[in-house]
Amino acid sequence: MGAYETQGFKLDNSGKRLVVDPICRIEGHLRVEVNLDKDNVIRNAVSTGTMWRGLEVILKGRDPRDAWAFTERICGVCTGTHALTSVRAVEDALSIKIPENANTIRNLMQLNLQVHDHLVHFYHLHALDWVDVVSALKADPKRTSELAQSISDWPLSSPGYFRDLQNRLKKFVESGQLGPFANAYWGNPAYKLPPEANLMAVAHYLEALDFQKEIVKIHTIFGGKNPHPNWLVGGVPCAINVNDVGAVGALNMERLNYVKSIIDRSKEFVEKVYIPDLLAIASFYKGWLYGGGLSSQAIMSYGDLPNKANDHSAANLMLPRGAIINGDLSKVHDVDIKDPEQIQEFVTHSWYKYADETKGLHPWDGVTEPNYHPEGPNFKGTRTRIENLDESAKYSWIKAPRWRGHAVEVGPLSRMVLGYVQGKQYPFIKDTIDAVLKKLDVPVTALFSTLGRTAARGIECLYCTDLQSAQFDKLMANIKAGDSSTANVEKWDPSTWPKEAKGAGFTEAPRGALGHWVKIKDGKIDNYQCVVPTTWNGSPRDGNGQIGAFEAALMNTPLAKADEPLEILRTLHSFDPCLACSTH
Amino acid sequence: MTETFYDVLRRQGISRRSFLKFCSLTATSLGLGSAYAPKIAHAMETKPRTPVIWLEGLECTCCSESFIRSAHPLTKDVVLSMLSLDYHVTLMAAAGHQAEKQLEEIKKKYKGNYILAVEGNPPLNEDGMYCIEGGRPFVEILKETAADAKAVIAWGACASWGCVQAAKPNPTRATPIDKVISGKPIVKVPGCPPIAEVMTGVVTYMLTFDRLPELDRQGRPKMFYGQRIHDKCYRRPHFDAGQFVEHWDDDAARKGYCLYKMGCKGPTTYNACSTVRWNDGVSFPIQSGHGCIGCSEDGFWDKGSFYDRVTDIKQFGIESNADKVGGTAAAVVGGAVVAHAAVSALARARNQTGIDVPKEGDK
Amino acid sequence: MFAQQDAFEAERTARLVKAIYVYEAPLRLWHWVNALAITVLAATGYLIANPFPTQPGEASDNFLMGYIRFAHFSAAYVFAVGFLGRIYWAFVGNTHARQIFILPVWDSNWWSEVFYELRWYLFMVKEPKKYVGHNPLAQLMMFLFFTIGAVYMICTGFALYGEGLGLGSWASNMFGWVIAAVGGNSQQVHSWHHMGLWVTTIFVIVHVYAAIREDIMSRQSLISTMISGWRMFKD
Ligand code: HEM
Ligand code: HEM
Ligand code: NFV
Ligand code: SF4
Ligand code: SF4
Ligand code: F3S
Ligand SMILES: [Mg+2]
Repeated sequence: MGAYETQGFKLDNSGKRLVVDPICRIEGHLRVEVNLDKDNVIRNAVSTGTMWRGLEVILKGRDPRDAWAFTERICGVCTGTHALTSVRAVEDALSIKIPENANTIRNLMQLNLQVHDHLVHFYHLHALDWVDVVSALKADPKRTSELAQSISDWPLSSPGYFRDLQNRLKKFVESGQLGPFANAYWGNPAYKLPPEANLMAVAHYLEALDFQKEIVKIHTIFGGKNPHPNWLVGGVPCAINVNDVGAVGALNMERLNYVKSIIDRSKEFVEKVYIPDLLAIASFYKGWLYGGGLSSQAIMSYGDLPNKANDHSAANLMLPRGAIINGDLSKVHDVDIKDPEQIQEFVTHSWYKYADETKGLHPWDGVTEPNYHPEGPNFKGTRTRIENLDESAKYSWIKAPRWRGHAVEVGPLSRMVLGYVQGKQYPFIKDTIDAVLKKLDVPVTALFSTLGRTAARGIECLYCTDLQSAQFDKLMANIKAGDSSTANVEKWDPSTWPKEAKGAGFTEAPRGALGHWVKIKDGKIDNYQCVVPTTWNGSPRDGNGQIGAFEAALMNTPLAKADEPLEILRTLHSFDPCLACSTH
Repeated sequence: MTETFYDVLRRQGISRRSFLKFCSLTATSLGLGSAYAPKIAHAMETKPRTPVIWLEGLECTCCSESFIRSAHPLTKDVVLSMLSLDYHVTLMAAAGHQAEKQLEEIKKKYKGNYILAVEGNPPLNEDGMYCIEGGRPFVEILKETAADAKAVIAWGACASWGCVQAAKPNPTRATPIDKVISGKPIVKVPGCPPIAEVMTGVVTYMLTFDRLPELDRQGRPKMFYGQRIHDKCYRRPHFDAGQFVEHWDDDAARKGYCLYKMGCKGPTTYNACSTVRWNDGVSFPIQSGHGCIGCSEDGFWDKGSFYDRVTDIKQFGIESNADKVGGTAAAVVGGAVVAHAAVSALARARNQTGIDVPKEGDK
Repeated sequence: MFAQQDAFEAERTARLVKAIYVYEAPLRLWHWVNALAITVLAATGYLIANPFPTQPGEASDNFLMGYIRFAHFSAAYVFAVGFLGRIYWAFVGNTHARQIFILPVWDSNWWSEVFYELRWYLFMVKEPKKYVGHNPLAQLMMFLFFTIGAVYMICTGFALYGEGLGLGSWASNMFGWVIAAVGGNSQQVHSWHHMGLWVTTIFVIVHVYAAIREDIMSRQSLISTMISGWRMFKD
């Protein structure tokens, strides 16, 4: 294809080709190839999903009431969001209305996922792109303590605490067995934090590892386990009983208090550890403004968290819905996942087969037929030994979804920007973003960057802890008002279903807009299609040569060292890629 | 300078005295007698932390996610002090060539001495290219890494049985790892995912006692998979009493009755959920009102709906359960018998006017 | 009118009867015990799979499911021990006692008689043949449905039972392989064991029907034979 321009990016694949595979600290299998110019600036980026399992094929012919369990296993990281999307799709198809409590409990579970996933992403999947673990050995524990206390009143911040931690770290490094920290990019000039900030971050890496297992207990209480809690078409499986004989066998006061305590602790951790760390780290990287990609021009969100049950209109959603295209922030477009004109998936550059590959398919009529074929004039290697892929041919297991023909970015940044521009409906989002920008002393446009994406995730996490408290109060108020219903079983029995039906369900998963489309025939699934956040962001090119969000974000980024892909990881990680999700 | 198990214990504040006590306890529990205690102590003082290579094939990463939820021991301590997690794509800092190099080095340096832990499984269709790592089929990496491993752990339903991607029609031919690895001891730790403390329990058992846990017929550690959910379920008294949830959110559900009629697979599922429970013992599926779906059992995806008590038998071509197939057959036979009886009576009435008369030619 | 006819019949019968001792006492006893056990197994088995509606009151005041399962397992022991006894009797009993275990499949004459019986049931021949033991078709059916069926139900049943007794129990040691053989998931064994309920039911329906029908139509005694041991030929 040579050099061409698309979406404001000049793609040029003539320079040195660099391959990064596996991309680590993500979910699943991702490969990236980039072309560097003589100054080590990325001038062409190619991202490839390298796994496929065929869930859409497997679901055919099965009981729609079981689909949540199958789709939940699309991903154990964003566990639960596919299940929720699935039960919504089936309920939509069968016109099932769920009880108010079920809606609130589902919201609590979804919020819980957001909080957990964002926190784990920040500390365990992303932090090491900004934090140099080895440099932490050089830190002065006393000054680390001062730094920590200056940004937060989190109690674990004494000099002794950091000294002990540093000693443990020293021992660990001296043992020569560096485990997951081995052979990485320590000392790379792209790391900018002083040793003290690094030590503090490493301490919080470990604290967050301890704490994240507490957060998920909300899933455990409502859904029985995490990862992969249980869901139910028509409501939630956990019954409420706060008064009666046998309450100990259901959601009772003790269980509800447990939920409440986790909500409070999560809020505290996010407020006192996550957000201060985020701001502290960001303040050292303010100048590193790469990685904006599509975010300033094309973003989309389906919206989520219906405040009232069964009302999926934008006005009732606590996470915003809408699309912005051509960078026009003044116009928020309506998004309708059932509109065949709006959402379509293409496979021109994906390893799938359509009868007519020049056309896209709306997911209700979607087709998933694998067709592995690495080829093209620039392809190097063999079928089972890929050296270089050729982006002019098929090159990924990810399909290419488009919204009214546009490649869009989805995820926390998209949601937060949509909330920001609709600040009246979402004052928390607007105010928090303003406060963060002010604190860092950067303009709104700074959001459209790698760091902006990372910051948006933190802001969203904070927002979600706030919503969790509010939803919990709502649940208690409703129980107090005498409503303890959690499931609608009117249409549980397949004999009550119409012969044919179709429905669509959506959520805002941690990584972005998620939709499932189902067609039911004679009580069985006739077609099932998922279009997933990382399908959008990790999308390969389409027939018009438009690039997806990953590829766009990598463009024009300089690497400090051509043989160390630190900046590539940094930007990719800012999306929190999930490849098991993307291809499913 | 490699840290030894002893160093690790010392670092955790364990005194030399209790270290030696630990060694003699270990010696006794291994059936070696106290004379062996000093030898064990010596080994522990000089032995580096056991390297673990953790590979991921076709999977959803919830086994890793579950692993990091361990409360006792804390995952932090497992990773920093008990073993050396030298390759784990979801957690490691390095990527690309640096990651590949790390894998090669560990394999070489600790040949025959590392534990291979596998999450997910290899697909075999399309020459394995439904799961590609470093440009080549995951199944190759798996086989190569297994070749020099000391022992293999199969995490979760994926590695143990195939799990969701192997559900019919298994488009990628996702295959449990014991079907592609040979000549190595394999410990299966099934579940979708397995319980965190069961995962760390199995690993620390192997490190502490330096041997494989005792396995059942299907290769699962007896200590965690020796009994069914049903055998230790706290709702069991309701089962025995005949007290069942009949519909979601009915009175029985609010009283915590048995979920058998809602399709609970506890009676056929071997796992530790009803005893160890999930996430530091907070709950488990049944305690939260949903039946067990049998997520640690082989092929649990293909046994009919999770909500059916009498599940489908696919061998009959159509999806149908024993009561449907058998009941229909019995009804047909019953009908046939009645018809046959009627015809017999008729034939008898017509031929013989109700009286047996010997005919000529009778034997 | 009936009275007159009965008297007529009785007279004829008395004139024509020939009797042979076929089923020895232990076999007859076994037959009825076995029939009872299977009836209990079928009824309780069905209820295990499809239990009665929920019982009111405290769990500790009820044990319905427990009793049903207890009845199933007790009948299962009777059934299994009886079957073992029946095998023993095949060695020490008379030649008819071996019939349901061994089919003379190599004997073409036997096969032609199977088909003859089949034709009799299809109303294609007017007269049945008479047999001292089982007629060949009955023998075939008993072998397939009962003998094989019993082994099958005992193997699958005790495999499930062994799960309750626990790993390492005698039942698990002896029959645990069954679960592995069907792919390792005991839900599958439940389904197959459950299928056996219907196979058994069908056998019983046909068997009882045939016994009564033949008793009436084939002019040889059947039911009373299983009671007294004597086969009576009416002509
Ligand atoms: C003619 C013989 C038998 C019949 C018709 C029969 C029938 C049944 C049926 C229909 C079930 C329910 C299966 C399900 O859907 O889960 C069952 C369960 C069972 N049967 Fe039998 N069975 C027979 C013989 C046996 C024998 C010989 C044993 C040996 C101990 C046995 C042990 C069991 C056990 C352990 C269960 C499972 C009970 C539970 O899950 O609570 N059965 N049987
Ligand atoms: C659950 C119920 C029953 C089962 C499983 C059963 C099974 C059997 C078996 C296995 C035999 C062969 C005996 C042998 O040769 O060892 C037999 C014979 C026989 N059964 Fe049953 N039986 C059942 C019920 C009945 C009933 C209710 C009747 C009577 C109405 C009956 C009448 C007979 C007769 C007449 C024979 C002898 C057939 C012959 O002489 O060829 N059975 N039964
Ligand atoms: N992409 C993606 Fe997910 C998320 N968030 C799901 O829908 O991670 Ni596995
Ligand atoms: S076994 Fe289940 S939980 Fe583990 S990776 Fe597979 S799908 Fe995920
Ligand atoms: S809820 Fe499930 S595991 Fe518990 S007693 Fe009932 S059937 Fe058994
Ligand atoms: S569904 Fe799985 S988590 Fe436990 S209770 Fe059943 S084995
Ligand atoms: Mg899809």
